[in-house]
Amino acid sequence: MKHSIPIFWRNRESHYRIKITKCNACGKPAYFGRDRCPYCGSRNVTIIESEGKGILVNFTISYYRREGDEEHLPRIIGLIRLDEGIMVPGEIVDIDPSEVKEGIRVEAVLRRYSSDDPYGLIYYGLKFIPILKK
Amino acid sequence: MKGFKVLSRPEAKVGILGWGAYIPRQRLKASEIAGLWGFEHSITKALWIEEKAVAAADEDAVTMGWYAARSAIVRAGINPQDIGAVFVGTESKPYAVKPSATIIADALNVSYKKLSTDMEFACRAGSEGLRIATALVASGTIKYGLAIGSDTAQANPGDVLELTAASGAAAYVVGPAEESVARFEGMVTYITDTPDFWRRDCSHYPLHGEGFTGDPAYFHHIMTSVKMLMEELGLKPEDFDYAVFHQPNGKFPLRVGKKLGFPKEKILPGIVTPWIGNTYNASALLGLAKVLDSAKPGQRILVAPFGSGAGSDAISIIVTDRVLEVREKAPKVEELIARKKYISYAQYARSRHIIRRIV
Amino acid sequence: MQVSKAFISAACMTKIGRHFKLGIKNLIHEVTACMEEKTGSRPDYLIVASALSALQTHQLDIASITTQYLGWNNIPSMRVETGETSGIAALELAQYIVRSGAASKVLVIGVEKMTEYPSNKVNADYAKILDYDTEYVRNITPPNYAALVMKEYMRKYGVTRDDVAEWPVRMHANAVSNPYAQLRFPVSKEGVRNAMVISEPITLLDAFPIGDGAAAVLVTDESARGKDAVEVVAITSASAPSLYLRDDMTELPATKAAWASLRRKLEAQRLDEVALQVHDSYSIYGILALETLGVSDRGKACSIIPSLEYLNVGGGLKARGHPIGATGLYQVAETYELMIEGFAGKQYSGEYALIHSMSGPDYNARLALLRRW
Repeated sequence: MKHSIPIFWRNRESHYRIKITKCNACGKPAYFGRDRCPYCGSRNVTIIESEGKGILVNFTISYYRREGDEEHLPRIIGLIRLDEGIMVPGEIVDIDPSEVKEGIRVEAVLRRYSSDDPYGLIYYGLKFIPILKK
Repeated sequence: MKGFKVLSRPEAKVGILGWGAYIPRQRLKASEIAGLWGFEHSITKALWIEEKAVAAADEDAVTMGWYAARSAIVRAGINPQDIGAVFVGTESKPYAVKPSATIIADALNVSYKKLSTDMEFACRAGSEGLRIATALVASGTIKYGLAIGSDTAQANPGDVLELTAASGAAAYVVGPAEESVARFEGMVTYITDTPDFWRRDCSHYPLHGEGFTGDPAYFHHIMTSVKMLMEELGLKPEDFDYAVFHQPNGKFPLRVGKKLGFPKEKILPGIVTPWIGNTYNASALLGLAKVLDSAKPGQRILVAPFGSGAGSDAISIIVTDRVLEVREKAPKVEELIARKKYISYAQYARSRHIIRRIV
Repeated sequence: MQVSKAFISAACMTKIGRHFKLGIKNLIHEVTACMEEKTGSRPDYLIVASALSALQTHQLDIASITTQYLGWNNIPSMRVETGETSGIAALELAQYIVRSGAASKVLVIGVEKMTEYPSNKVNADYAKILDYDTEYVRNITPPNYAALVMKEYMRKYGVTRDDVAEWPVRMHANAVSNPYAQLRFPVSKEGVRNAMVISEPITLLDAFPIGDGAAAVLVTDESARGKDAVEVVAITSASAPSLYLRDDMTELPATKAAWASLRRKLEAQRLDEVALQVHDSYSIYGILALETLGVSDRGKACSIIPSLEYLNVGGGLKARGHPIGATGLYQVAETYELMIEGFAGKQYSGEYALIHSMSGPDYNARLALLRRW
């Protein structure tokens, strides 16, 4: 069993929806739901949710191979600036490597992150596709 | 033919608040499949199948169902916390045991206090889910229900079904008729034990009776359920503006519609299979979604899903004014059909995990 | 306050490569035997730096297991792991131990086996230097980040792919004269450009090779200082937020913070004349390290590479190799040899040497300042 059950399960909301940690002390927002601000360390934080739409600001076409990557390479890994202003790293799918460029508008959709084949858990989470509806 | 006669119409209190669709981007031409496996090329015309949608390697019934459901909820304009039931009809569950519905529900922030299950009845479980969610609303058990039909359809490589077996999802939020974009006028279901198509527990691919899947299965059950509905509601084919049928290929819905007395013009708007393939649990439901994308308020729609094993639902729906307010809020079926990239058979085999590998 | 001094009194290295016949204990044995030849006596303390040993060789507590293997009963030991900076972290710990008086001779061994499994498993294990929850499970890996940084840098400063190729060209040229290096052949810019893409624009020749190795240094106090000694003036370290939380991805914040603490100690030294080891797991990181340390202006590092005579004398991570946990000790051992008697065909008479190590996209950085004694 390669995929732990609780490691993913306890964070599933942050993988199923874009959670932003808004710091009430320093004011900066950060991607992923956390107990404390990654900028200033304050525990006084509020978790809010992003709509999941934004602009692709940087990307790379990756052939880097880990176990289980065979059906999924090449991957497009990029940085997305959400409409709310926060940067999210993520995978971009449903687009050809030759077509992807900076500036395209993307939206977060649920996909398989990875599956512990043949008998283990499937991890689901958000990746980004060129937005289907403006 | 005697079936269970619904004496009152509880479903008349219920309607569709939102509909959603999802079709993956990849397309495989039927002619390539036919050519690879030695089918004479005119078979694609005989079946009226041009190309089929193929889910990517990181997609499955859960991810597709999620997208369709999200669109349905957006159109419905409701808080997902008010959804009291989530049903996923699928015959391609990522887990044989572990519901897809709970993953989709948590991913969409649906209330934990709910009924939820995955259901199997070949291609009509999504429709069964629609009926059950409707009954739950009608009985006052829940306020809103979410019914999803989603499949990455399997077919034995080299079998004629491979020309059409495809991936897609459709979802419906049901609730009080007063809030609906299309209200239910009547629903009936006709089910018998008819083994036309099945998949054994450990089998990757289904088997089917070829010709047997026609008259004794598809045609008999759809025609029976539709006639049953029309008799109970006192309606005739002329009373309907659209007739949407389960569509394993492009020809069957035209044939069964003709047998029932529906003209081609009423059937064509709900046909999607020639361009995306047979999406199993999403088949008729995507046809319905396509009709809802353009139907006018006041129009009457017949939708008759069918599932092997076998059974058919017949549902009469009347579109309300509210459909105009929400139609543009999510991608339309035609937009999803138009979003496509052609792939090779090899890429299809990789995407759908049908190449034997050590994982 | 008078702070006790710490010295490097001896150093040993093994050749880096795919050593299928040598397990982690064999590599340790080889480098320890070399040490025993050089120093004669047993250390009071053993520190082992290994990033992947628990994952690749299924060994926890590699330090105690090593004392058992070496027959060094009752010697206290500790394993250190800080990702790619494990080697310098081990040195950092060792010098605190001798400064505190807790031990007089600390043997620091950096060792890594990266060939016990096929590369797709090593790649998976190595990628765990990123945050498992927010990065790893979301399929983000270290070379992806390096590629994003490289693209951002190239766009921001108008630097081309070929400009960046100066780095591996120079590193490979250095390694030709390093008998311990894994890759001892020269490369050309064209070769770099045309090599297999890992995560574009990073190609195979921009990235470190996978190899096994062990390197060791003996850290001593004044009383046990060998006749060939180099002083460990100071080691500073810092950590930094995830890449996507940074306003400027072309700056190395942990390196910058560690450098801020250290630079005063270098007084008026010109960094471009100091023997320098920077962490070039990918070409772009070596370039950014030069800029963050102030060796060159921002956006200009590529053009000054040819003029830095004592840059990564052994070939850097790129050509000498990067057996992850051992790398820091290779940087130190090469620098020590350079200062004592010359290394890889170079003689250095300068007073100071600076070693930079970092993990991933600078999730933590460590700087070691050495001075001729």
